Amino acid sequence: MPRTTRLSCAVAILACVAAALGGSAPAAAQGQPGITADTIKIGTFGALTGPGYLYGKLAMNGIDVVFDEVNKAGGVNGRKLQLIREDDRCDPATAITTVQKLIHQENVFALIGGGCSNATFAARETIEQAKIPFVVVASVHDGITQPPAANIFSMALTSSIESQAQLEFALQQGAKKIAVVSMRDSWGRARYTPLMEALKTKGITLVADEEMSPDANDATAQVLRLKQSGADAVIMVLFPKPAAVFARDAQKLGFKPILIGQTGIGDPAAFEDQVGVPGATAKFTTISMVKYTPTDPAVDKWRTLIETKFPGDRLSTFNLFGIGAAQVLVEALKRAGPDLTREKLIAQLADLKNLSVDVYPGPITCSPTDHRCNKYPAWIAKEPGGPIKVLSITHVQ
Amino acid sequence: MTMLSYLLLSGITTGALYALVALGLVVVNKATGVINFAQGELFMVAGFIAWSIHVQFGFDFGISCAGAVLVGFVLGCAIDRVAFRPLLRADVVSIVLATVGISFMLKGIGRIIWGGKGDYLSFPPITSTDPIMLGDIVIVPQQIAVLAGALAIMIAFALFFRFTRIGKMMQATADNAKAATLVGIRIERIYTLAFGTGAAVAAAAAVLSAPLTLLYPDMGFSFFIKGFAAAVVGGLTSLPGAVVGGLAIGIVEALAGGYIHSSMMEVSAFIAIMLVLLIRPTGLLSFYKARRV
Repeated sequence: MPRTTRLSCAVAILACVAAALGGSAPAAAQGQPGITADTIKIGTFGALTGPGYLYGKLAMNGIDVVFDEVNKAGGVNGRKLQLIREDDRCDPATAITTVQKLIHQENVFALIGGGCSNATFAARETIEQAKIPFVVVASVHDGITQPPAANIFSMALTSSIESQAQLEFALQQGAKKIAVVSMRDSWGRARYTPLMEALKTKGITLVADEEMSPDANDATAQVLRLKQSGADAVIMVLFPKPAAVFARDAQKLGFKPILIGQTGIGDPAAFEDQVGVPGATAKFTTISMVKYTPTDPAVDKWRTLIETKFPGDRLSTFNLFGIGAAQVLVEALKRAGPDLTREKLIAQLADLKNLSVDVYPGPITCSPTDHRCNKYPAWIAKEPGGPIKVLSITHVQ
Repeated sequence: MTMLSYLLLSGITTGALYALVALGLVVVNKATGVINFAQGELFMVAGFIAWSIHVQFGFDFGISCAGAVLVGFVLGCAIDRVAFRPLLRADVVSIVLATVGISFMLKGIGRIIWGGKGDYLSFPPITSTDPIMLGDIVIVPQQIAVLAGALAIMIAFALFFRFTRIGKMMQATADNAKAATLVGIRIERIYTLAFGTGAAVAAAAAVLSAPLTLLYPDMGFSFFIKGFAAAVVGGLTSLPGAVVGGLAIGIVEALAGGYIHSSMMEVSAFIAIMLVLLIRPTGLLSFYKARRV
């Protein structure tokens, strides 16, 4: 056999072997990290332990059940989704190493997650440099999406959106004297600063502006000062612990304004329990990223899936955060097509317009210049002893 | 006037929490000369133990309290065996670092066991939630319970150190360990007892204050810092000093928050500590002993 013919045969055999090994996977996807002929590896990070686990572990459980459903239906363009979890413990330094591990050691194709804002914000630079698509589930820090990084898209309400919504809600309720009680750590400042800007834009002057530490055990001084100011609405930029102390002491001292929370105090039932004083949360309303409460029949399907896969768990709002973000990611992956690349997924995420998923209060819209894709906070409240109810939905422009 | 009354009451209640933590620190320091940096985490673990017994397993509050105090005592003794006794002849920095290590370990254990059960766990109040009117002042009964608890523990320890044989042996060990050994006191046992007792105090404090503070695995450090500050103000070896220090810090915080601005609450306590240490470096209720020559 002539040498050229033997060479041609060898090339042909190699091509056949390569085609057989590659199966039906398109050639473009083969060079992509985290992708095989039949799987797409997706990394997730957040707190699996500690107080932040609600925004980490529970949201991840939500992502997990969405991926299970997609996989049962055949996967995304023929590939099954595989979720790799890592614990960032809500710690910025750990978040950076966790993300590095997912990107370089686990070789994941894309990231979905982020619970604690400070941790996710710390990891932003690493994620941006790696040019890996990242869908934010629950971290609200503005710095994660502003200025926009080409590859990071937030399905969480950002802190500035929530702050604007808090003010809008106070005005809608007819508040004439608005006061603020806030934490001034980095989490609090990320909300407090845009709130001050929103107040300035509307020409509103606060009647009182008080501080609390995240570990506060007493709020008598703050309550007395706010009571003296005659405030009829108090915007709370607080974690659940200081917020519970504030609500308890407000009730004790007979101060009964409208209490306006945010997603940091996203579970009115748990909050009522934490306050522990009957009637103290009667005028408390807070923001939810999702339009349903866990007991709503509309989320029966997800309740069954969560409670089956994670025995002992009950469907929570935090599961719904993960479900919403995962549905968005899955849709973008589908639209990116079988020749999947990170660039294609990023392009599809940036092009999402009016996408409705099961749980968010409004449609998801991203653009190349604005990656804060969820701008519809839902207002929820719980009458003492009663169920949680969705009161209204605000569209923040 | 009403505002002043409310602020004073609030300061006294918060101060009582600090005093409870400070009491545990002082008991250990009084006998061993060491500050137990794991005191805040012992407070946290004991609070969760009580929560588990009372809320998770449904036992009576008294049983949960006794269980937490017992577990606290055992943990304290274990700290002595693991982190203090092997380092008895090491320098004080090594011992302090060992207690810091224990604090991180306890926090990790707390996160693993109780970190996934809710962001902040509430502990059912041991008293009625209905406020009590005292003239124009409204008081939450749980606050009185905390204050009464702090005073009861302080009095119990004052009596213990003054009238019991073991208390006197602990005092003697603290004053001069070598002399105590010469007169037959087994100082290792005294050290174990001191660590155990200090942790048991932390446990009692945790049970009393849990309904006011909520429980979370990272709560220990902030309580330790305030308790340590109270102990420093009081003189580090004085039990009444710990209570006075705790109450002073609580009151300063409340008054600064009410009359200046709430942003001053955290700062004011530490300004007060600096002033106390400048004026009386040994603390408010600690006195240099005059020695006859």
